[in-house]
Amino acid sequence: MTVTHDLSILSLISQASVLVQLVMALLATLSLVSWYWIFRKWFQIRAARTQTDEFERDFWSGGDLNTLFDAAARHEAGGMERIFEAGYREYTKLRAKGHDHSAILDGARRAMRATYQREVDDLEAHLAFLASVGSVSPYIGLLGTVWGIMNSFRGLSSVGAATLAQVAPGIAEALVATAIGLFAAIPAVVAYNRFAHDIDRLGIRFESFIEEFSNILQRNLR
Amino acid sequence: MRDRAAPPREAPGKWQSLGLTVAVHLGLFLFLFFGIRWQSAPPAALEVGLVSAPTVATPAPKPEPRPAPKPEPKPEPKPEPPAPKPEPKPEPKPEPRPEPPKPAPTPKPEIATKAPEKKPEPPKPAPKPEPKKPEPKPEPKPEPKPAPKPAPKPQAKPEPKPKPVQDDYMKQLLAKETQAAQDARLEGMLRQEAARAGAQGDMDKYKLAIATKVRGKLLRPPGLTGNPEATFEVDQLPSGEVLDVRLKRSSGVPTLDEAIRRAILGSSPLPLPASPALFQRTLELKFRPLAED
Repeated sequence: MTVTHDLSILSLISQASVLVQLVMALLATLSLVSWYWIFRKWFQIRAARTQTDEFERDFWSGGDLNTLFDAAARHEAGGMERIFEAGYREYTKLRAKGHDHSAILDGARRAMRATYQREVDDLEAHLAFLASVGSVSPYIGLLGTVWGIMNSFRGLSSVGAATLAQVAPGIAEALVATAIGLFAAIPAVVAYNRFAHDIDRLGIRFESFIEEFSNILQRNLR
Repeated sequence: MRDRAAPPREAPGKWQSLGLTVAVHLGLFLFLFFGIRWQSAPPAALEVGLVSAPTVATPAPKPEPRPAPKPEPKPEPKPEPPAPKPEPKPEPKPEPRPEPPKPAPTPKPEIATKAPEKKPEPPKPAPKPEPKKPEPKPEPKPEPKPAPKPAPKPQAKPEPKPKPVQDDYMKQLLAKETQAAQDARLEGMLRQEAARAGAQGDMDKYKLAIATKVRGKLLRPPGLTGNPEATFEVDQLPSGEVLDVRLKRSSGVPTLDEAIRRAILGSSPLPLPASPALFQRTLELKFRPLAED
């Protein structure tokens, strides 16, 4: 084992053993992907929130349901708008066919439920990936570190006079793996918690809207 | 006619997030690369450190010898630094060896000069150190003297550990120097002891002389067995005349004590010591009159 004092990050990575390099590559990929999804989810949730805000404002400002429906069909709708769209469409269709009131309401509710679940599922997509990256990547990094340290100590055993300088580079190399793992894990965990919380709140808003809109539809039936 | 709500549209910000992701990682990498001062330059300094370490260890005793070891190692390590470890090993060893043959005659006188500095008693220390310090010391000395003592030390201390190879060399040097110092100390002690032994010898002779004279005067009381010992304090004049005899520790046999006391009084004047320095007004004498010798 040659001991180098060049501890720049590049040489640390390039001189690591193969397994450690694999671990680092895997972790770097995980980090890239998780960051990609962090940003995408961030944009998506932010957009969903603003769209929901807008639609709630429009809806409760007392506009006609038909104009709202037309507007929702025309422009790109947010989650709540699509729930409204699905419920109102089902309502009008069932009403046109002359079903009784409770059947119309049930149908509209079911349609809204289905859309609601689809919306929430869409928002939650890839959150599980963030969760697994957050929980697993420290272990992967640790594996790389342990392996690298094992190697550096094994190399040390063949050297007569052992100094810290002979082990240090190996350990530094190995620790890079843990660092990358943590770098991937920490943002993933934070983002996961944040996003899960945001999506929960959006889901609650959707559900309350479904209940309130059902009431409005019921009132319209009379 | 759509029965279902429109399928979820393309999520927003796909490319945006891709770009941001790359930016984040690039930023982190750049930070790691430039932001943190990885230890990449220092190795040179490390080498210097090893060399000077021994000098630091033995500063006080030998002023001269030190300069020698330092000058050599320094020049070598500094030029090398760019190539970190592999080089230092081969270089230090080869250099010292070629040199020794030439200086061989000269080194001895130098050592001798060292010795006197350490200790006032010169002859002995000189010979011993030579056999023990075979190669390393003689070589360094010839070249070094002009050398810069003050400079090396500051650099040297901080980084002693890193270089194993040079370390060995240094250790050898160190070991030799400490060995030499120990030898000198030992010899000093020996000499002191010898001097003390000489004085002791005179004292012994003096006491023996007294004892034989007293024994000659002693009339042994009959019927004594064993080897009783009596201690007396004897006051005497510078001429050896006995003024007073006091029993300090009895032999346990009053008649024997009395006999010895009379014998001491009877042997006045006592013999005088070889050197007047050993004369004491009050002597403490132990008697074993029944001992064969």
